[in-house]
Amino acid sequence: MFQNRAEAFALVLPAAVFAGVTFLVPVVVLLSEGFRGADGWTIQAYIDFFSHPLNRTVFVRTLKLAAMVTAVAAVIGYAAAFAIVNLPPKGKGRMIGLVVLPLMISPVARTYAWIVILGRTGIVNQALTSIGLSDEPIRFLFTETAVFIGLLQLFLPLMIISLVSALENMPRDAVPAARVLGANWFQVFWKVILPLTREGLVIGGTLVFTGSMTAYITPAILGGSKVLMLETLLYQRVTVANDFVAASVIALILIVMAFAANLLLKRLATARNKR
Amino acid sequence: MTINKILLASGAALMLSVGAASAQDRTLTISVYGFAQDAYKEILYDPFEAKCGCKLVVETGNSVERLAKIEANRENPVIDMAVVSATDALAAARAGLTEKIDPAKLSNFDLLYDKARDPNGDGMSIGYTFYASSIAYRSDKVDITSWGDLLSDDLAGRVALPNVTTTQGPATLYMLGKAMGDEAPDLKAPIAAVGEHKDEIVTFYVRSSQLVQLMQQEEIWAAPIGRFAWSGFSKMDMPIKWATPKEGQAGGMNVMILTKDGKNQDLALEFMDYWLSTEIQTALAENLVDSPANMEVTVAPDIAENLTIGKETVEGLNIIPAALELDNRETWLSEWNTKVAQ
Repeated sequence: MFQNRAEAFALVLPAAVFAGVTFLVPVVVLLSEGFRGADGWTIQAYIDFFSHPLNRTVFVRTLKLAAMVTAVAAVIGYAAAFAIVNLPPKGKGRMIGLVVLPLMISPVARTYAWIVILGRTGIVNQALTSIGLSDEPIRFLFTETAVFIGLLQLFLPLMIISLVSALENMPRDAVPAARVLGANWFQVFWKVILPLTREGLVIGGTLVFTGSMTAYITPAILGGSKVLMLETLLYQRVTVANDFVAASVIALILIVMAFAANLLLKRLATARNKR
Repeated sequence: MTINKILLASGAALMLSVGAASAQDRTLTISVYGFAQDAYKEILYDPFEAKCGCKLVVETGNSVERLAKIEANRENPVIDMAVVSATDALAAARAGLTEKIDPAKLSNFDLLYDKARDPNGDGMSIGYTFYASSIAYRSDKVDITSWGDLLSDDLAGRVALPNVTTTQGPATLYMLGKAMGDEAPDLKAPIAAVGEHKDEIVTFYVRSSQLVQLMQQEEIWAAPIGRFAWSGFSKMDMPIKWATPKEGQAGGMNVMILTKDGKNQDLALEFMDYWLSTEIQTALAENLVDSPANMEVTVAPDIAENLTIGKETVEGLNIIPAALELDNRETWLSEWNTKVAQ
């Protein structure tokens, strides 16, 4: 046993040392910056950060957009994933390929495409004005709507993939059985599919939420400085004000929120499980 | 006697070989902006290496990174000379990171525009390029004669302004203040005016490269830009003009600095002098890399069109003094964050 442990320890050591030196130490050094005061350790930087109205607005906006993107991705994701797993194997492979395809294109290119699509002369506005939904082009660019759409498009594939693999692991006859026993589609989803695929939802939800919160390119290009998010604020603090303390505060907030989202989703999943 | 001769001869030979070796080993490390490096290499770096018989090490990056590196290596400088904005040069000088530049060691010093000779008045920097900033606009849609027109009803929902965090930002606000008749350095009045109109501004841009696309998509009809970005607009298949506002054009300057306790200061000065020479400044201008700070440079009219060039233009530039910018930057940002970014 001891020998096994020593061997296991020896095997894990190089990876642990590498991760420790190149990841943990710099992160700890960076984050400790936010707790360093003139005379010892303090949380003053955090109090200062949240005392600025702008910072509070940005914090709430980031949280709100990330939560909305996650919720909408889950709804669309379930529908898409359910359709995909019910396809014949060939079609399934093709559809998953199509879902994954955008992930192979740089987010910069994808986000720039949205500038064209959502622009005054873009396809969305052309459609809206031609079917008479709007008299003149609507300004989408540099609004929260644009950031929302951009983030949703960016992270939806992650949700779909997680849910597809969760649905595939679900017993084949669970849904037909529930139907035969008289459950309507809502009950089937709520009482059968959701509990059986919660792991996929937790993984997908965490990926989408964390991704949306920490994305930089999409809010920077589609939101600009009119729709500041925590990441774009962090960049501004460092490059303009050379304020590494505020940057470290924002970095820790982002990390804490990512962990919190994961815990919350897990809790929700297990709460349903116990029932 | 013979022994003495031999000793002397071998001593001389030794000195010669040391001298030759050190000429070959001489290395100059410079820190520059990342853009147009291919052109710089061809026009400036390679010819200089050939001329001095030394090796040039070029480090690039944005100013924050580059200045942070100079500061981190303060005790044992790696960089010999750097080019930064006049404001960053003053910040570096105040932090004790730069050395005085002796004009007597620069043979081309007298050829420079007055504004470039000692931009911050501390003898620590030399201007090597200027840029004007004005408003690029759709002449078929609006007419712009003043910086104040940026906030006019005609442009509501059709104008992009630079973010306060960019170099163009404070310059635009400064000119807006001038148009409003309020030139207080805190820029409170123009920032408040922008704040009142913020819903009518399409975006507060961070990179001017983004503007060409916005103009192309008819998202915007006007935006303040630097002259260095003009060529992208002038090539567009649209009637776009460069405004000549009655308050004048805004402007900026990039400068050369010498690192304090740098190991190759003489070589750095030699390089600066070479860069400021009429020959190199002309070549850089002709390739649209940098507008010249050297008064002797002349280029063809179609090239001058894309540059900030000529005594009248350069002397008419409204450049925010570096000290004013440095002392007020934090105030501008917090004012902006309260009135505009909210």
